[in-house]
Amino acid sequence: MNWTGSTMRMAWRNLWRNPRRTALALAAIGLSVTLVLAYTSILRAYGQWIVETITGPMLGHVQVHAPLWRKDRLMERTLRDVDATLAELRRDPDVASATARVYAPALAAREEEGFAVVVMGIASGAESGPARLVTDVVEPLREREALIGRQLAELMNVRMGDEVAVVGQGVDGSLANDLFTVKGVVTTSVDLVNRQGILIELSDAQALFAMPDEAHEIVIHARRPEMASALSRRLAGASGFADAEVLDWQTLAPEMVTLVRITDLAGLLVLLLVFIAAAAGVANTMVMATFERTREFGMLLALGTHPSRLVRLVIAESIALGVVGALTGSLIGIVLVVITHRTGIDYSWLAGGGPSELSFAGLRFSLRFYPALSAVDVARAIGAVCLTSLLAATWPALRASRLQPVQALRGT
Amino acid sequence: MRSSLGLVIAAALAGMCSGGAVSLAAGPDRPDVDALLQHLDDLYRSKSSIARIQIDVTGTRSTRSMRLRAWTRGEEEVLVLIEAPPREAGTATLRVGNNLWNYLPKIARTIRVPPAAMLGSWMGTDFTNDDLVKESSLRKDFTARLDRRSDAPPGWWLTLDVKPDVVGRWARIDLLVSDERLPIEERHYDRKGRLARTMHFDDVKVLGGRRLPARIVLVPVDGVGQRTEMRYLDAEFDVPLSDDTFSLSRLERTRQ
Repeated sequence: MNWTGSTMRMAWRNLWRNPRRTALALAAIGLSVTLVLAYTSILRAYGQWIVETITGPMLGHVQVHAPLWRKDRLMERTLRDVDATLAELRRDPDVASATARVYAPALAAREEEGFAVVVMGIASGAESGPARLVTDVVEPLREREALIGRQLAELMNVRMGDEVAVVGQGVDGSLANDLFTVKGVVTTSVDLVNRQGILIELSDAQALFAMPDEAHEIVIHARRPEMASALSRRLAGASGFADAEVLDWQTLAPEMVTLVRITDLAGLLVLLLVFIAAAAGVANTMVMATFERTREFGMLLALGTHPSRLVRLVIAESIALGVVGALTGSLIGIVLVVITHRTGIDYSWLAGGGPSELSFAGLRFSLRFYPALSAVDVARAIGAVCLTSLLAATWPALRASRLQPVQALRGT
Repeated sequence: MRSSLGLVIAAALAGMCSGGAVSLAAGPDRPDVDALLQHLDDLYRSKSSIARIQIDVTGTRSTRSMRLRAWTRGEEEVLVLIEAPPREAGTATLRVGNNLWNYLPKIARTIRVPPAAMLGSWMGTDFTNDDLVKESSLRKDFTARLDRRSDAPPGWWLTLDVKPDVVGRWARIDLLVSDERLPIEERHYDRKGRLARTMHFDDVKVLGGRRLPARIVLVPVDGVGQRTEMRYLDAEFDVPLSDDTFSLSRLERTRQ
């Protein structure tokens, strides 16, 4: 094949012999690419948003428990030597953060009335921040200070600064009771914490429940979310976790994985539909362009042009159309995504007001999210358009190459 | 809170069924169920009681012992005070009707146990808070019938079925009563019909002028190696107790 510059020049000139049709085709291709990119960016945001909401505050990417703890959540099913384990985990290059938690059912009371709560011992410093468990309080907890979930606080009529009695049971069965000062009322993305949670510092919880250097859960965030499964498999095989249950978030929250998969599938379907439409557009343009030029092709063949050159010409026209359309569409799409990525898209506003978050599977999902694209998404869209253009041009190109010069000149 | 529970439990057991009063013949003659249950109800409690109880809890990782003192009056009033170990001494539980309060001397607070926490462990034992409260309603909630004769040990198996429309933890309780009209064994079945825990009564001796099993062992079925053993050290029955005994102010006066 010989893709000379003259073929490309001819192709480009041919395209603009009918400027209106070419412009329309370009607009159609450009618009589909813009739409695909916009939609992809929203799906990507949606997927990331789901994964972040699941893994950020509560699950992490990998969790470690004592065997059976997840089943019955008995106090005495603890992990031992937590400090050493955490130190080792933090040295792991794939681990972004590792923190330990204590979960203890207890009674809490401001006055006489007791309420069933779950006391969580957490590393409050490490678990605070955007997309972490505690997002609205920054200062780490000191000794005998507590944060309380908003709904629980309302139920108990507790305000900041109040003293709350906590009564539970240590891992050895002993009576655990102490007073805590409420340093903050928090709203988290985890329903359990909002409704029943009293958060205290890990060391406080370990002392209160007679479990020094022990914890019920270790939460690990990986450097990159997609490493979760590999990291979990690697840690499960490590000697330090021989007696523990190490699971990635996909295993811990399978229903969420299904949710993400359904979203991806929906995205693929739309992509497919849009490209069928784009292909139809290109094919239509090229079929029209070759049919109305039957006489011209006949002339070229009669003058000795090799049929393969006609094939190249038609394909070049088609690909030029696709590339120019795809590039324009991508440019517009990227600009749109860049603009919306900065501000985020507020779904509740689009839906005409209403709640700014929704609750699903015990988690609160914020309804504002941030469209995002990767280079792969753009390359895939452009590549797909080029491929469609090529396929759409095949039939017209072959037809042009098989013309009989004499018949073609007669215009039949 | 651990140990006082046992006493209450025993009373609860006894109190399960209601009854008229006809004498119960010893030996293999079919006993009068109502009278028998009435008798059992009364066994550890009578009109009022004061008892000292030792509780040993064997858990999966440790063993604990507590000594308690318990006061009861009628079916509705119970006060349990932990006397040992020192770390928990002075901790007390008061039950009046369906209400349950814990007094915690370390933080000097009295806290009412909410319904949501009723199935929680009482003072780290295998007894639940609910066991303390349910005793009087068991008779209302269950229908009792004589099930079969037991030859070794000689006695009768009674079956208590929960009445329809009653919300609770147990669907059925099987109770083995000796010909001496003392409890030997009790089996609790949950709502799915599974055996959840058993209680064994033995070491029959005379306490406070009546013969009763001084040792009660509670074994949860799903807890491997886990058990709570309760032993009556001494007991007095039908002693007059003032109203003040079962009050919140009394609860907060630690150590009598």
